[in-house]
Amino acid sequence: MNVEITGLTRRFGRTTAVAGVDLRAGPGVFGLLGPNGAGKTSLLRMMATAMPPTSGRLRLLGRDPGRYGQRRQIRRRLGYLPQNLGYYPGFTVAEFVEYFALLKEMPAARVQAAVRVAVERVELGGKAKARLRTLSGGMLRRVGIAQAIVNEPELLLLDEPTAGLDPEQRVAFRALLRDLGRRATVVVSTHLVEDVGAACAQVALMDRGKIVFHGTPADLAARGEGHGIGDAPLERGYSAVLTGVRS
Amino acid sequence: MNTTNAPAVSRQLPATRRPGRTAARLLRLELRHNAMLWMLPVAIALFWLTTYRKAMAMPPLWNLRATSMQSGTLLAFACPVAGAAAWTGSRETRRHTTEMVTVAARPRWARLLAAWAAATCWAMAGYLACLAVLYGVTAQQASWGGPLWWPAAVLAASLPAFSAAGFAAGTLLPSRFTAPLATVAAFFVVALSTQLIAGSQSYWQVSPLVTGPWDTGPDAGVATFYPYLPDLPIAQVMFLAGLTIALLAALALPRGSGGRGLRAAAAAVTTAGLLAAGTAVALAGTGKLDAHGMITIPALHDAASDRPVRFTPACSHTAIPVCLNPAYASYLPATVTAVAPALSEIAGLPGAPVRISQAAATYQQQAGNAVSVRLDGPPISGRPPVYHLLLPDQLLGPTMTTSELAAEVRSSAGPAIVASVIADRPGASQAQHAVTAGLIIAAGLPLQGLPPGTTPAADSRPGVRSQPPPEVAPGSPAYAAARRFAALAAPARHAWLMRHLTALRAGRITLRQLP
Repeated sequence: MNVEITGLTRRFGRTTAVAGVDLRAGPGVFGLLGPNGAGKTSLLRMMATAMPPTSGRLRLLGRDPGRYGQRRQIRRRLGYLPQNLGYYPGFTVAEFVEYFALLKEMPAARVQAAVRVAVERVELGGKAKARLRTLSGGMLRRVGIAQAIVNEPELLLLDEPTAGLDPEQRVAFRALLRDLGRRATVVVSTHLVEDVGAACAQVALMDRGKIVFHGTPADLAARGEGHGIGDAPLERGYSAVLTGVRS
Repeated sequence: MNTTNAPAVSRQLPATRRPGRTAARLLRLELRHNAMLWMLPVAIALFWLTTYRKAMAMPPLWNLRATSMQSGTLLAFACPVAGAAAWTGSRETRRHTTEMVTVAARPRWARLLAAWAAATCWAMAGYLACLAVLYGVTAQQASWGGPLWWPAAVLAASLPAFSAAGFAAGTLLPSRFTAPLATVAAFFVVALSTQLIAGSQSYWQVSPLVTGPWDTGPDAGVATFYPYLPDLPIAQVMFLAGLTIALLAALALPRGSGGRGLRAAAAAVTTAGLLAAGTAVALAGTGKLDAHGMITIPALHDAASDRPVRFTPACSHTAIPVCLNPAYASYLPATVTAVAPALSEIAGLPGAPVRISQAAATYQQQAGNAVSVRLDGPPISGRPPVYHLLLPDQLLGPTMTTSELAAEVRSSAGPAIVASVIADRPGASQAQHAVTAGLIIAAGLPLQGLPPGTTPAADSRPGVRSQPPPEVAPGSPAYAAARRFAALAAPARHAWLMRHLTALRAGRITLRQLP
């Protein structure tokens, strides 16, 4: 299992963002759904080793991120796209991706090829030499995805990856997710249930810091039959689960 | 997104990583995008305005050019590099990339070091280019000596220190205002650090702006006859290097910057850096002005540096040769012309100097930051007698053009040479005063001048000449006798002096006995 989480809790003062989550995930695309404030981003940030948990046990890629040496090993094999992508406007697309490849301690000899491949995979090959300040929001999002996948990560964490992408790009991105999920554990945090349905083999639904549903997209859709609100089966399942939990 | 066209990169990692090569690539990226690159034209323009033009207006003496470069270039480069480094240090927060770079494997400290190094490299490259131009031009112009590397080393140590300080400020207090504030702060730190200097034993001498006794400015008399003393520069480099190391190592102290081992090592290095900087400050406080115009620090002093520099003087081919230190060779024709009228009046007289030789000045610390500069010993001494000359440029005050220097030598050294032959010093007889004044008038020199037998000090700057002694003020009997003596034909004056000079010098001639 690439992700093993037991009783993971994270508190910010009196607020509990993540409340005793248990989760296990192997290779494949894993969708993390939930309303705003459900704790998805906090959980993802802990999985990304950006933030330590308040309590609980977390093992990533068979290692303990609480130990510096092991955390560094995890980070070499990790890809992370945060919800709010920061970037350096003066860098070109290729330079920005190269910068992160170097920070991920990729061997220098492999960096150039890896950057080219990552940029091609997000269909920005023609913009490789464009400065980031000249790109649209959707293109920047794709640059963020390129930096996350440049090291061919074994654990890829994407927070709202399709925000700002046009429909065509979202379809292409889902195909990329499926491709990446063949070898790596890809955790996608999103509130767009159609992304989950199209790309994810497993899905977890979070509410108020807890996982209230864990199963396949088909299971989630089944939970919505005859219940819930929404245009699509997954949306109805999503709504039904949340309504059930809250009632 | 493309899932099929692009080949997947091989997942097999090579057996060995090359951290040096990766660091070099990271540095190359940082260099391409560092703010200091954009600040370089500003720094170079400041250098040209505040340092280069000023240095080129000075005589081509290595010591003058090097010390004026140290103080001027520091301000030109330290402020921009502090601002650029602060801008770079605050980048991750300003650009919201903190989380993305935090989850990368490379330790925070190593990442920050690359960004700092880029700012410092650009500043250093700009500084070295300016140094090369200034020293290159000086090498073409200077008649003797060679470049002084210690002032250059102090500057080279200053830039990483200011860069590290700016970078630390940007990292700790990241905002868009940090960079301009760091620039202004760097200026005030440099400028105000010298305001508290009081005398040569001040701890504040550790400021890289200080090149010697404070308030005297670049002094042509220093490091010409005696070697340049590296005592103070060593303390300054030690201070700056210690500060740089402490600031950079402190970046690795916060949690998450690295492993426990790295943080423990960083704490040790920070402590060592602070200790080195503190020791350097303490050493600077033990400094004192030596007789040759430089700051000696007993713990760092090498006695071998006190030996005078060997040189072959540049001499004129005149009846009484005028010999200058070869560094001042360009002044020789003007100096010979300036003293020629006085020398023609005394040539051949018993006790007249057989050579006019430039001597080293002796420096003494006075109250506060005042420094007196004088000739050590009588102006005329030895057998056969040699007149020891201090050129006005060896004294404190603004440096002079060749014509200004010639005028000053003519009006001060000329009368002083005459007075030394007549032994006209304070307490001399009225007749001695009158004969000296007569010879000065006959030589066409101004009667004003430094009182015979006295030497200039910090408070009697060259160009500020005293009035003639009251004994020969117009209307006095001595003045009338001087005019009579000057009115004699040159051979008559010379003949009278040949007969009576010994008695005159002994004070046995009265005014009435003068022709």
